[in-house]
Amino acid sequence: MATNPPFRRVLIANRGEIAVRICRGLRELGIESIAVHSDVDARAAHVLAADHAVALGGNTAAESYLDVGKVLEACKRAGAEAIHPGYGFLSENAVFARAVRDAGLVFVGPNPEAMERLGGKKAAREEAIAAGVPVIPGTEKDDGDAALIAFGKSIGMPVMVKASAGGGGRGMRLVTDERDLADAIAAGRREAKASFGDDRMILERAVFPARHIEIQMFGDKHGEVVSLHERECSVQRRHQKVLEEAPSAVVDEDLRRRMGEAAIALGKRVGYDNAGTAEFLLDEQGNFYFLEVNTRLQVEHPVTELVTGVDLVHLQLHVAAGGKLGELLAGKDLTPRGHAIEARICAESPENGYLPASGLLRLVREAEGPGIRVDSGVFSGWDVSPFYDSMLAKLIVWAPDRAAACARLSQALRETVYLGIPTNVDFLRRIVDDEAFRSARLSTDMLQHRPELAAGPQDGPDDLTLAAAVLCQAVAPQRGGGAGAGGAASGGSTAAWNDLAGFRLFEGSR
Amino acid sequence: MKLQKQFVRDGETVAVSAEHVRDDRWRVRVGDRVYDVDALPVGEGGVRIVPVGDEYERSFVAHGAAAGTDYMVRAHGRTHTLSAPEGRRGGGAGGADGKVRAPMTGTVLDVLCKAGDTVAANQPIVVLSAMKMEHKLTAGVDGVVESISAQKGGTVDQGAVLAVVKPAQKEDS
Repeated sequence: MATNPPFRRVLIANRGEIAVRICRGLRELGIESIAVHSDVDARAAHVLAADHAVALGGNTAAESYLDVGKVLEACKRAGAEAIHPGYGFLSENAVFARAVRDAGLVFVGPNPEAMERLGGKKAAREEAIAAGVPVIPGTEKDDGDAALIAFGKSIGMPVMVKASAGGGGRGMRLVTDERDLADAIAAGRREAKASFGDDRMILERAVFPARHIEIQMFGDKHGEVVSLHERECSVQRRHQKVLEEAPSAVVDEDLRRRMGEAAIALGKRVGYDNAGTAEFLLDEQGNFYFLEVNTRLQVEHPVTELVTGVDLVHLQLHVAAGGKLGELLAGKDLTPRGHAIEARICAESPENGYLPASGLLRLVREAEGPGIRVDSGVFSGWDVSPFYDSMLAKLIVWAPDRAAACARLSQALRETVYLGIPTNVDFLRRIVDDEAFRSARLSTDMLQHRPELAAGPQDGPDDLTLAAAVLCQAVAPQRGGGAGAGGAASGGSTAAWNDLAGFRLFEGSR
Repeated sequence: MKLQKQFVRDGETVAVSAEHVRDDRWRVRVGDRVYDVDALPVGEGGVRIVPVGDEYERSFVAHGAAAGTDYMVRAHGRTHTLSAPEGRRGGGAGGADGKVRAPMTGTVLDVLCKAGDTVAANQPIVVLSAMKMEHKLTAGVDGVVESISAQKGGTVDQGAVLAVVKPAQKEDS
């Protein structure tokens, strides 16, 4: 890739692990990084990772990371030339991308026109049809509840109810019984309204059993679009990805080429530049159907980085500065090499209905070792706020083949410690150790059919583990308080844990 | 020094005590069983447990930390959340005491019952929005809704009682 830094100073309009990861990429390229943060995030990992930080004020996403005016003002104040939006928040907001451009700054992402043409599910679907990419039969627009229900009945169950503006599974529901359609549409509208400010819904025939296969596409500002091949993200719950890998065990060279060509055709048609992901469902007969395009860097981008050797954040920055893909990728063999798997570590309790959790993370020990990468946004003593997404970190492994990558991920999850609030670490390991996952028999509904993977074993701790729980407090240094707004209060509530003399440990609840 | 504690394991209360003998040596009683172990601190929140006389087979490393009113311990690649007998709380489902609590801070999207309604265990009572997802909070027991304090659109704190279901006549445990 090019050796000169593409920018001097870049602002990251995001938080958590992705902002930390972008800070690292910027520093590697010799670019100064500017973080922005809400009030509760003043000591967050991404603020610590950046060269400089600007306070946005407020706590909810709407008051801080989603406030276009505040982010632009921070950018001007910091003298940044470009804004990297990460994923989520403003990353797929064409109004924001246009405002950035109008302010004379560079948006590290697609041009707003391409974003608009591919951003909404409905618009993207029309572009896909025009580009000759196969799509799933479904409604083209939202003509109200009655029309949606009538259409659903006409194509037959099961159907998928989706937010027209959606992404990340929000507002999306599978309906198998006609009588549930009205409820699903109403609930979807509420979630879509809250998440996107747009409650329009669409309806599609549900393809299943299906595998989720997506193509990492990349465009530059000179009309070139390339494919960096597939990722498989079939392990999902409530349409949120749980485990992602590259390459897919079921995609051969021919299918990889055809899916790549479909993504490239779509990208070229709309003049797409920068990183994007074309998502497809793959049925058991090997047919693929276009789902949607995510017009941003994906959560799961590291697995592509590990098997192609391309740093996608570096590439984003070079392309945003006008670099040509032909030159940036010259001489690189992009054929997938080895196998990478990512596990999303979230503050939630799969054993208890996937309830999300917030509160003080007292102890964090992340995995390390050969072939292990941890993109994390937390540390021991960090108070996980209820205001944002529940993802804490991503554990990503690489190994020469899939079996070795599974073994490595299981081992890494075993040594991973996040204590203080519930996480899905044990759940992730149960999936990775399951015969279905090991033999790559994956489908988007596999977790629904295997509730025992979420429930976990029912046997309690053995005697020595109970002994260890008491002895930990006796001999191992314990963390009293923590960083973040709730730290002091949380520390106070557990003072009894540190009081060895009295040791009435379950007194002093909040 | 002697530490004493009660945990709930497999539905039963277990008394655990640890008495310091000397140096790293502790005598631990779990119920009526006795274990002599060495407990070696290993970094923040960690301990290596070495059972005396069984060092080779059964020594292991554990990490522990408080989690609200519970205590979490991780050993052998599994995390156990230990509750005291009186400290057990409901989750997505209301507790056996009939109280439906907010499992986390959030906004009430909908209230699906009113006081006086007869409800069945696992029937949704309140829809809560938290961390950008919807969660249906259900009754923990069959019974009659005694009171509902949740209000549509209201913000609730973690642990707040949103509804109380008076259990149906049948008295068990």
